[in-house]
Amino acid sequence: MNAAAIPIAARETPLPTSERILDGLAEPVVVVNADGEIVYANTAGEKTFGVWLVGRSLADLFPYYLHSGQAATVGRVSTLTTEDHTKYIARFEPMENGLCVVSLHAGGAANHEDGPACDELTGLATRNCFMRALDVALVERGDLGEIAVHCIDLDRFKLVNDTLGHAIGDALLKKVAERLAKACRKEDVVARIGGDEFVVLQCAPVREGEAERLANRLVDLLGRTYVLNGHTVNIGASVGLAYSGSGYQGRDVMRNADLALYEAKRAGRARFRCFEFGMDANLRERRELEIDLRRALALKQFELHYQPFLDLKSNRVIGFEALLRWHHPRRGNVPPLDFIPLAEETGLIVTIGEWVLRSACEAAANWPGDMVAAVNVSPLQFKSDTLLETVSSALERSGLPASRLEVEITEGALLDDTENVLATLHALRDLGVHISMDDFGTGYSSLAYLQKFPFSKIKLDRSFVAGTGADCDAILKAVAGLGTSLGMAITAEGVETDEQLNRIREERCTYVQGYLTGRPMTVDRIARFLENGQQRTEAAS
Amino acid sequence: MSTVIYRLVYYSRNHIPDQNGELDAEIKQILERSRVNNDKDGITGALLFNAGCFAQVLEGPLDAVERTFERIQQDERHGDVSLLALEPIAERAFGSWAMGFLGRSETNAHRFAEVGTKSGFDVARLSGDEIHSVLKRLAIEEEAAAA
Repeated sequence: MNAAAIPIAARETPLPTSERILDGLAEPVVVVNADGEIVYANTAGEKTFGVWLVGRSLADLFPYYLHSGQAATVGRVSTLTTEDHTKYIARFEPMENGLCVVSLHAGGAANHEDGPACDELTGLATRNCFMRALDVALVERGDLGEIAVHCIDLDRFKLVNDTLGHAIGDALLKKVAERLAKACRKEDVVARIGGDEFVVLQCAPVREGEAERLANRLVDLLGRTYVLNGHTVNIGASVGLAYSGSGYQGRDVMRNADLALYEAKRAGRARFRCFEFGMDANLRERRELEIDLRRALALKQFELHYQPFLDLKSNRVIGFEALLRWHHPRRGNVPPLDFIPLAEETGLIVTIGEWVLRSACEAAANWPGDMVAAVNVSPLQFKSDTLLETVSSALERSGLPASRLEVEITEGALLDDTENVLATLHALRDLGVHISMDDFGTGYSSLAYLQKFPFSKIKLDRSFVAGTGADCDAILKAVAGLGTSLGMAITAEGVETDEQLNRIREERCTYVQGYLTGRPMTVDRIARFLENGQQRTEAAS
Repeated sequence: MSTVIYRLVYYSRNHIPDQNGELDAEIKQILERSRVNNDKDGITGALLFNAGCFAQVLEGPLDAVERTFERIQQDERHGDVSLLALEPIAERAFGSWAMGFLGRSETNAHRFAEVGTKSGFDVARLSGDEIHSVLKRLAIEEEAAAA
């Protein structure tokens, strides 16, 4: 309305004070200070939210509102929700001295050009809003690593959602948002960019070590116990940290922070990692390895080698352990330690493991007598629910009697979901398959597992066979004794010298496996090896 | 229908350096703040501490107890917070908010020697209920002393 349109009489009437005018407004208006504390409220505000409004904080009225100095809410419009779910469209107008006028209009969600500025659940900024703030910050002061981005992932969040329900999951996300905001400064921007993914933009000059301190604090604070609706909830947080660099755009910093986050998770979670050059090269290398690994089965690059194990009483070969080898045309022979973890991480181990089982059964079906094929089964295969079916179909197709197959598991298979794994083990045993415990003596070596399942064999880790100290002797003796009492056979692995062989013989191990008694060999060399062995045994007797 | 009262018991290592009166000042502030907040939230219970840790029993409606605990979790001065108990109780054991200032005075050391530890006071060794009874006795003594 311009002045010319106002009647002269009205112009001459003295105007009431601005405060009176504000009190005449039907809509609540409050002024908050830099700490988010309400320092003024008009009459409509007091009518709507209660008389003692001044002195309280905006977060008291809107539990999901976070005063973290979010760029998202300054000079912007966002939707705020009260405890009883009434929605207000809030307009934030910054004033001098860190004060800010907030006018509140009752009603639905505000309209924005590209989606809401605030995440409805947590009140944090959205991804779009965050990326805008990041780009602006980079233009203003992006050059000298003065901006840090923290990518945060919650560990075990899904478990909370699945076991306690979405309501608790949501409540947890809100508390996470609160803790994030609490740990950050006002000028930082905190956003929720996915289900359980958060990101922090730490602007203002980041002093030496300050970003690391914040990352560390986030890991600590988010990892502390939560109490939600009477439930005690424990999760962890992994954080990836990256700095701005000359010519960087928002997505570059985000990608680097993401890479660092990936490394933090790979290093065991509940920690932070700083982006380093080379992380992308590492990841690229892993990606390429994964691509090769996915093709390896179809391109027939896998091969099984078989290492014999002998009965120490008769000195006869009673079976072979199938060992996976990967020959890659460019990489050469890739050691299992380099690709098995990746195969497990990607789930490829299930199909590879299936191929191993089938191939070993087929090979063993051609071996003389009742020679056994021992096959390693990964914990991941137990989780896939198809193991029992795979084993029985491998036996059926090859015609190998179940009693000639031995499944080797490590303790790792029993760590999670023990009941289901035990059920599968019992079902395998009912088929007639032997089950042995591999690598015993490393890891937890829980005796409880030996009690829970009647393993036919315990394979003592090679380190105890190779060791020469009195303590290795004592362990060898103890495990052999344990096996005898529990009715489980003991295989000593990694036997390389006659002296070691004599020692394990003295300790009454049942079987032996190692370079001394036979190196791993290809399937076509087994027949000859057995022939020679036969001659050796006959000559010796 | 009356609100169900919950009890939360925890202890935590304290991260405040015991030098230049910093510990005294911080603790004074923590006590003051917890008194104000807990009064407002209808929380009763007790807080005791020494140079090494804080132990608290919080009693009140679940949401108030949770809010208070969350405030503690967001406080960097507390580290390694161990939640010892969270459960509904038939009635409040504390009529108000009691704080057992457990400095290094010989009287206090003596009082806690009784609980079972020989040297100093080790909350970590007590189960939730034992802490409770320790705190309770302390609260009664405090009450009696104030009367």
